[in-house]
Amino acid sequence: MDLSPFEDDNSVSCRLVSEIPEVCKTEDCCLGIDEAGRGPVLGPMVYGICFCPLSRKEELKDLKVADSKTLTEAERENLFEKLDEAKSYVGWALQILSPNTISTCMLRRTKYNLNALSHDTAIDLVQYALDSGVQLKEIYVDTVGPADKYEHKLSQRFPGIQVTVRPKADSLFPVVSAASICAKVSDQSSAGFKSFLFLNSLAIRVVPLFSLFPDPKTKAWLLKYLDPVFGYPQFVRFSWSTAQTLMDSKAVNVHWDDDEEDGEKAAQRQSNKSMLSYFSVSAGGNDQNATHQAHRFFTERRLKSLNTL
Amino acid sequence: MATKKKRTSNVDNDSWVVIAPDSAIDTHKHDGDPVFVRLRNPSTDAASLYMLGCGDVMLYEVKAFEDDFHSWFVGQAVQRDGRLIFVTPLDPLFLILPYLIKSGKEGKFQRVDQVVKDEEFPACSRLLSCARTLASLHHIAEEKEVESQMYHRYSQEKTMNWLKKKVERTVIALKKKNVSVGEGVKSSTYVRVKSETDNQEEDFIRYSHGLISEYITEDLSKALLTHLGLPELTSPKETEPPSKKRKLSDKPVEAGEDYTKFNSADFARKPPKKMTAAQKSLAKVDKTGMKPMSSFFSPKVKAEKK
Repeated sequence: MDLSPFEDDNSVSCRLVSEIPEVCKTEDCCLGIDEAGRGPVLGPMVYGICFCPLSRKEELKDLKVADSKTLTEAERENLFEKLDEAKSYVGWALQILSPNTISTCMLRRTKYNLNALSHDTAIDLVQYALDSGVQLKEIYVDTVGPADKYEHKLSQRFPGIQVTVRPKADSLFPVVSAASICAKVSDQSSAGFKSFLFLNSLAIRVVPLFSLFPDPKTKAWLLKYLDPVFGYPQFVRFSWSTAQTLMDSKAVNVHWDDDEEDGEKAAQRQSNKSMLSYFSVSAGGNDQNATHQAHRFFTERRLKSLNTL
Repeated sequence: MATKKKRTSNVDNDSWVVIAPDSAIDTHKHDGDPVFVRLRNPSTDAASLYMLGCGDVMLYEVKAFEDDFHSWFVGQAVQRDGRLIFVTPLDPLFLILPYLIKSGKEGKFQRVDQVVKDEEFPACSRLLSCARTLASLHHIAEEKEVESQMYHRYSQEKTMNWLKKKVERTVIALKKKNVSVGEGVKSSTYVRVKSETDNQEEDFIRYSHGLISEYITEDLSKALLTHLGLPELTSPKETEPPSKKRKLSDKPVEAGEDYTKFNSADFARKPPKKMTAAQKSLAKVDKTGMKPMSSFFSPKVKAEKK
């Protein structure tokens, strides 16, 4: 699979698409959505959609696109080739979310969690299919979070399309299996370090990628490439607790102004009054500062006199 | 285990990010390097940092921009002290004034080098070698020449006029720089149709006076205020709400809920329940649409067949 657009600049997310089969623009279609690479602390997360006319749904089954988790990598590549060969009636699109995108979304001031990110990516892809003229009538999704909520959200977003959200959808609906194969294949080809260049010029070739979830091997790798100031290369999802705990203990402490402090301390720093003080009898302007208060020209600009360097 | 982040105070570092005028570091014209000196701050009467340019020709004050959560990337290094230090020219007369005022109480003419002396800050005598000092002493003191020796005596009247000029000049600078001086908040993008009012003029003078007051003693600052013809601002007294009339009755009045008992000194505020660092970071996460962990362990409810 050709991932060159993603490898050109892997700090943002990118979209790979197949050609839209003509038949999809005229006949009613169904569409499957699946994801790959949700758990790992390294590498991108990939979203795939796959669509085909309702009349030819069964033909996908004949391609034996079974549940992708039961397949080896080589078998998956094979199946993907087959899907690509069926391009007369099967279309697909992928959204590759770089680890950097995931980190910055989850670590924003206003938190944007992985579920919300997943949902929005899925919605974007479906919208892309609609914009390309695909006649969508049915959508099948593997669940992210509570199924009924997600189903409701998608139905609201795409009125007139029948949305089915099921756990294990990739083994129930061939079209979802196909989507999951697309996602998995691209996830593996990029996460397999086939040629992953880091923006911070740290080219590392680590042969087969570790298991999905942070295991000892991954941890060892993370420890080895921890920079005391910058933390990790962009290939790592900083928002994962595995990465965070290592950074907290091994790297230099960095304080941001939305870090939480203890309630009391923060209140003191912002010179908040305790609620209780409003109930006491006022002692008549006891908040006069004995210390010299600099003129507001300086305080507004955070300028202070120094008495020593 | 996540360790608790501790904020350590700034350790001694050996470099600062400083913005200084060329004149301060121009070593071609005069001998000697520029030097940081500690002198008596006329407003606070405590030590403050100043800088004397090459050959002690110019005096500069040192101010630091200091805000929480700042660091510098300098070349290939990180500097945790995120301060930005400004070195800006300062009229040496401001620093000499307190000494003159002190000796002026005796009412005698004296030589300035006898007056400007400070055991705590011996560097203050170097102020006299600044280019502007001796030439501008007549702004704040009367002069007499006896046998080609200059003698000076502090003059309140002259000083007031000199300070008034400073205030007026500052007003001009404030207007030019478009500094917001009013009490209210002003939007910089919203343009008023009406031109500025007289009231604003007073705001400018007050603001400017406040700025100059940062460089003179409190007594002078008050005297300057009256000299400028500005009344002292009195903070509006907090008007107590009239106490409610109580119904007359023989029984002692007892409040249904007595909140005041929480204010007694023996009522200590309970420290908030301690959370571990891990719990804290978890609490911050946006959890919308996620199942609680416990739901995975509850007995399976028969899925409703749709």
